[in-house]
Amino acid sequence: MTLALIGVNYKTAPIELRERIAISREELPETTRALAAVPGVLECMIVSTCNRVELLAAVDSPDADLAGFLHRQFGLDPALLKPHIYERQDRDAVRHLFRVAASLDSMVVGEPQILGQVKEAFAVARASGTVAGQLEHLLQSAFAAAKKVRSDTGIGSNSVSVASVAVDLARKIFGSLAGRAVFLVGAGKMSELAARHLVQQGAGAILVTNRTLARARSMAEPFQGRVIPFEKLYEAASEADIVISSTGAPHPIFRREHGQAFLHRRRNRPMFFIDIAVPRDVDPAMGKLEGIFVYDIDDLQAVASAHLAERSREARDAETLIAAEVERFHQRQRTVNVAPAIVALQRQAEEIRQSELRRAQARLGSLSAEQVAAVEALTRGLMNKFLHPPMQALKQAARENDSTRLDALCEAWSVSASAVQQAETEASPVTAGPDNPETEKAEPRKMNESEAGVETRQ
Amino acid sequence: MYLLWLRVAAILYAAASVAVFPAVLYGLARWRKTCVHLGGMALFFHFVSVIEMLVQAHSWVPVGAREVESLLGLAVAALFFLVWWIYDAISLGIFALPATFFLVFVPALGPDRYTFPSAGVRTSWLVAHIAALLVAYAALCFSLLASVLYLIQERRIKTKPRPGEDSWWAPFEWLPPLDTLERIAHATLEFGFPCMTVGLVIGSVLAQETPLGAAYFLDPKIIAAFVSWVVYVLLLLVRRSAGLRGRKAAYLSGAVFVVVAAVWFANLFSHVHRYGAR
Repeated sequence: MTLALIGVNYKTAPIELRERIAISREELPETTRALAAVPGVLECMIVSTCNRVELLAAVDSPDADLAGFLHRQFGLDPALLKPHIYERQDRDAVRHLFRVAASLDSMVVGEPQILGQVKEAFAVARASGTVAGQLEHLLQSAFAAAKKVRSDTGIGSNSVSVASVAVDLARKIFGSLAGRAVFLVGAGKMSELAARHLVQQGAGAILVTNRTLARARSMAEPFQGRVIPFEKLYEAASEADIVISSTGAPHPIFRREHGQAFLHRRRNRPMFFIDIAVPRDVDPAMGKLEGIFVYDIDDLQAVASAHLAERSREARDAETLIAAEVERFHQRQRTVNVAPAIVALQRQAEEIRQSELRRAQARLGSLSAEQVAAVEALTRGLMNKFLHPPMQALKQAARENDSTRLDALCEAWSVSASAVQQAETEASPVTAGPDNPETEKAEPRKMNESEAGVETRQ
Repeated sequence: MYLLWLRVAAILYAAASVAVFPAVLYGLARWRKTCVHLGGMALFFHFVSVIEMLVQAHSWVPVGAREVESLLGLAVAALFFLVWWIYDAISLGIFALPATFFLVFVPALGPDRYTFPSAGVRTSWLVAHIAALLVAYAALCFSLLASVLYLIQERRIKTKPRPGEDSWWAPFEWLPPLDTLERIAHATLEFGFPCMTVGLVIGSVLAQETPLGAAYFLDPKIIAAFVSWVVYVLLLLVRRSAGLRGRKAAYLSGAVFVVVAAVWFANLFSHVHRYGAR
């Protein structure tokens, strides 16, 4: 079985192409099932976000036509899509998935949404019945790796956009933003975005003013804010805890004397001015007043850039961590792969034990139930003790990916290829799936595997 | 037996004091949990120890400086947990937990050899006087601490330090928000005032019972205690009427703390009011 991943993302394809193959939440289950119907695909899932569409599949041969599925499904000319597609297999596919889940492949490295989106895609695939053992194990490992990256590195700890930096600063001043009044002075995309962030964090009343009243109204509408005539700017400002200013005024509209008046009216309650206008709307001298905090666009940008640089440094540590996690996953995978040999070895030993018991029965004569149990326990104990060293050696060789030693061990312990093959057939994750009628047949193997101490899950 | 519980509490406070640093400075949730659990257990054993100690002592009265220290430690720890619970400000633990440990450490070494000599004041009201004043001192300590941290945080935000930059303010990233510090400073100040008032009133009533009677109030230490109370009232009034906050409020809190600390130290020189009263 091979792992195959194919996709397009913001690095390889322009938005015009990405939007043509984007899969909506409603369409995702059906598209995932359609992918599962592609010949050679054993398990599959699809991750579709605004920045990427990726198909991940466990296939029975590397020739399964995933690219063809993309062309057919979205009615795209193969020549148009081909230059934008990337393909990964096995180890590279695992590494890619781990990096995506850990947000190392995101446009804004460390953003937290991607992990949720991968989890959602996995849940959809699971509900559609297109994932079983192989992808289940892979995805759980990817989630664990992503969690480790977030907890062991500072990759997602700081804000990297001007709007979120402003929110962080507001929190440093006011603590909880619940019920804080925000005053938007002037209309601008950036101030709207900052206000949106503040509202998401629980900010209360939104006041909006602009020289053009209609523009102020349209800006206030999404926030259900109150429109203030521009002439009443200074009266209204003292009501606000946070003022976001972005007018096109050529001179500062908030000066030191205004600040003093605000503080007087507010009985010294602090105010935070976010000045994103150029030229600036807030006189820097106002920031010298006790209780008034002024941050202009350069201040905010500087913090955001510093955070971004910090994230890049953390991303290097995260890459090392991901490499280790990928290696760990493969080690586990190899241990799982050696399970059929271990099961075959156990089965062979059990057959020998049973036949020796039958031979000895004639000589032993009639035994009481206790004596039979004692003989059973004795022979089983001996068998397990004898099997322990070769089983450990097999697992060790598998972990170290030492195929020569593996072959030598199988040969030394006379584990026949047919026995391994039989155990492998029973170990196939698809046959062990919950919806498969052969699940019952696979059950005894699972018991043997657990007896052998094989780690199949993290 | 109370010494055993106190020693257990001291060890747990020490462990909590160690755990609070990674919890606050690096924001590590696991350490935070460890710190709260250790501190909580320490507070419990400390409480048990104090109760046993007071039961052993005459009519619940702490009979020496070490026992008073232990009581003050309990007040500081309890107040810290109250502040943490209400304001989610574990950062103050960086100061409160080690301070509590040091307050508990000496009493945990062994009992005072000194016993309170005056039979006239062996009344359970004396413990109320002492406890109320100790809680007031602890509240004032917290108010001052929150005010100082407010000043640092305010200066830090105003200087706009850039993350990763090697500045003097970089180590203070962990400070709680300004508003939280302001509220802690104000709330602890208001909480301490009734405690101090109750403590002084009970003390005055008890003083009447001593052979000195009204002459007791002419002692400089006692006069200073009433002056500190008046300063406290003034501070609260000014804060309320003028909406005083921030830097000026912090300076005033500091002034009150200095006055109250001076009154505390006056115990060492007073002829009528001291632990080792003759």
